[in-house]
Amino acid sequence: MRRHFFGMMMTVSASLNGAEQRRPSRFGRMLEDRLPYLIVAPAILILLLVGLFPLIYSLIVSFQRITMTENDTSFVGILNYAELFRDTRLWATLGHTAIITAIALPLELLIGFLMAQLFIDRMPGRQIFVALLVLPTVISPIVAGATWRLMFDVRFGPIGQVLSFIAGEPVRILWTVNPAYVYPAIIICEVWQWSPFMFLLLLAALSNVDQSQLEAAEIDGASYFRVLRAIVLPAIAPVIAVACLIRGLDLVRIFDIIWALTEGGPGSMTETISLYTYVQGFSQFETSYTAAISFVVIVLLTLITTLVLKRMELVR
Amino acid sequence: MADVKLSELHKYYGNVHAVRGVDLTIADGEFAVLVGPSGCGKSTLLRTIAGLEDLDGGTITIGGAVVNDLRPRERNIAMVFQNYALYPYLTVNENIAFGLRARKTPEIEIRKRVSEAAEMLGIGNFLQRYPRQLSGGQRQRVAIGRAIVRKADLFLFDEPLSNLDAQLRDEMRTEIKRLHHEITTTMIYVTHDQVEAMTLADRIVLLRDGKIEQQGAPLELFEQPRTGFVAGFLGSPSINLIPATLKANGAGAAVVFQSGDALTLPKARAESLINADGQQVLVGIRPQHFSRAGGPLRDGVVPYSAVADLIQPTGTRTFTTIKIGGFDAVAELQAHDVSSHGERIDLAIDLNRVVLIDPASGLVIA
Repeated sequence: MRRHFFGMMMTVSASLNGAEQRRPSRFGRMLEDRLPYLIVAPAILILLLVGLFPLIYSLIVSFQRITMTENDTSFVGILNYAELFRDTRLWATLGHTAIITAIALPLELLIGFLMAQLFIDRMPGRQIFVALLVLPTVISPIVAGATWRLMFDVRFGPIGQVLSFIAGEPVRILWTVNPAYVYPAIIICEVWQWSPFMFLLLLAALSNVDQSQLEAAEIDGASYFRVLRAIVLPAIAPVIAVACLIRGLDLVRIFDIIWALTEGGPGSMTETISLYTYVQGFSQFETSYTAAISFVVIVLLTLITTLVLKRMELVR
Repeated sequence: MADVKLSELHKYYGNVHAVRGVDLTIADGEFAVLVGPSGCGKSTLLRTIAGLEDLDGGTITIGGAVVNDLRPRERNIAMVFQNYALYPYLTVNENIAFGLRARKTPEIEIRKRVSEAAEMLGIGNFLQRYPRQLSGGQRQRVAIGRAIVRKADLFLFDEPLSNLDAQLRDEMRTEIKRLHHEITTTMIYVTHDQVEAMTLADRIVLLRDGKIEQQGAPLELFEQPRTGFVAGFLGSPSINLIPATLKANGAGAAVVFQSGDALTLPKARAESLINADGQQVLVGIRPQHFSRAGGPLRDGVVPYSAVADLIQPTGTRTFTTIKIGGFDAVAELQAHDVSSHGERIDLAIDLNRVVLIDPASGLVIA
C-alpha cells in the first residue's frame, strides 16, 4: 500500500467531518506525488550548499591568482597545477604521508587483530577491559598528541624515566626533535590511539565467524594457521577492507597528532600533505595554490577509495 | 572402528544440569540414535563425546581409551553438523580434503579418498563448486563426505537432516542408512524426530531431562515402553492416553472410563493385574490398533462404536478423531473406512498391546 502522509490527512479529515470519502482533488494528488521530494529537498539543498559549493568554489579558486596579501583575482589557467609538479617540498610531504601510512596501518591492523583474538573468548571483566582499551580512540587526536608530547618530554616525561630505569643510566632521547626518533614517536602515538578502533571492528567481525565451522575444523584437526587462512580471514576480510579504508583515508589526512608532537619538524621532516596544505594556506597565505593542492589530494583519495571499493566488489 | 562407553556423565551449563549421570555403552559398528524432545540434553551429550564441550563428571571411553582430556582433534572422530558447517571459501573438493590435508595425508591418497567419497555420495560433478552454489541436500552430502574420507573411529551426527525439506529428508535418511551398511563405522546420531530415530537406529537411546529414559532396539521401545513418556514420544500419530479405572478379579480385567464405557482386557494381560484392582490408570492405545469391525473378532480384540469427528486423510491411511470414554482419541483407519464427519463407525480395538500407565509415577504397569 502506498499512501502518503498528505493523502492520509485528507481522508482522515474528510471522515472526521462526517462527509463521504472522496478522492483527493487534482492539486491534492499532485501534492501527494511530490511530497516525498518536497520533504527531502531542504536537506539536499543544505548538503549541496555546504558540500558541493565549496568544492566547486575551491576548484575555481585553484585557477586564480588569489593570495591573502593582495587583491588580484585574475585567472591564471593551470599555472598553480604546473607549479605543483615543480614543488619538491610537496612531493616530500606526500612521501612522508606515505611512509606513516605504510607503517602505521599494518601495525594498527596487526595489533588490533591480536587484541581481538585475546578478547574473543569470554572472560571475567571482559566488557570493562574492552571499554578501557577503546578509550584512546574517543580522545581528540590533538589531545592525544599533546599528551604524548608531554610523555616524550626529555626532562619530565615518564617514557624517558622508564627507559632510564630499565637501562640503569640516564637515557636522554629528544623524541620530537631528533630525526632518528620523530617518526617512531609519531607512529607510536598514532598506533596507540587507533589500534583500539581496529580492535573493536575486528572483535565484532571475529565473534560473527560461524562457530560450527571452527568446531568442524577442530575435529578435522586443522592447525591454528590453517583455520586462520581457510576460515577466519576470508570471513572477516570485508571488515578488514572497510577498516583499512577508513584508517587509510584518515592516515593520508593525518594532521593533529603531528601538529601537536612536532609541528612537521625538525625542519619539514615530518610534514605531511595536510600540514603542508595548512601551512601554505594559513601561514604563507597562498590561497589559490593551496586550493590546487587540496584538489590534488581530493583526486588522490577518491582514486584510492574507488580502487578499494572496486576490489571489495570483486571479493564479494 | 571403536566402541563407546559413557559412565556417570555429568554436564552443567551454569546452574543448568544438562546431562545428569548418563551411562551408555555403544558397541563397535552400532548405529545409536539419541532422541528426545528439545532441551533434553541429547546435543550436549553428543558434543561432550566429540570433546566440543568439557564434561563436569564421569568418563568417556572410545575404543578402550579414556578420552576425557583429549582435544576433539585427538579423538579421531568425524562429525556432521546441523547447519553443515562447510567451509564457505573452499571448494567442495577442498572441503572434503580439508581434514586429510590438516593431517598431512599424502596428496595421492587424498585424491583417491575424495573421489571414492564423491562417487559414493553422488557429488562427483560438484567438486569444483563452492558450498553456496549447492542445494541443501548437496551440502549435506558434502558434509557427510568430509566425515567419511577421514576414516574416523566414530561418526557423530548432530540433527543432520533437520534443515532439509521433507522429501529430501527421506532421501538422505535412506542414504545415511545405506552408508552405515557400507562403512560399518560406529555412529551416534542425534535427532528430535522419532521417525528418523526409529528408521535409522540399531538402538534408540531416549533422553529426557538429561537422563536416559529408556534404551533398546526401536521396536522394543515402541512395543514395550517402560514409561508413559516413551510410549507418548514414539509413534506417529502418538499414542492415545485415556484416564480410566482398572477393574480386575479372577475372571478377568477391564478398564472403566469416566463416561462409564468399559473395555475388556485380553486374558493374557489380566492375570498380572489382579493386585491392581481399583487403580487409576492411563490406557494407552496406539492409533494403529484401531480398525473397522468386520468378521469375527480375534482374541483380545474388542468392538467399540464411535462417532467420527475430525477426518484427516493421508492417502493410504485416514486419521480419524473419535471419543473414547469421553476423551479425544485418534484412530488410524484404512483410507476409505470413514467418509464423513458425524458418521457412526463400528471399530475393533486390538488390546493385545495396550499399555497401562500409572498416572502418578508415569511408569508402565502392564
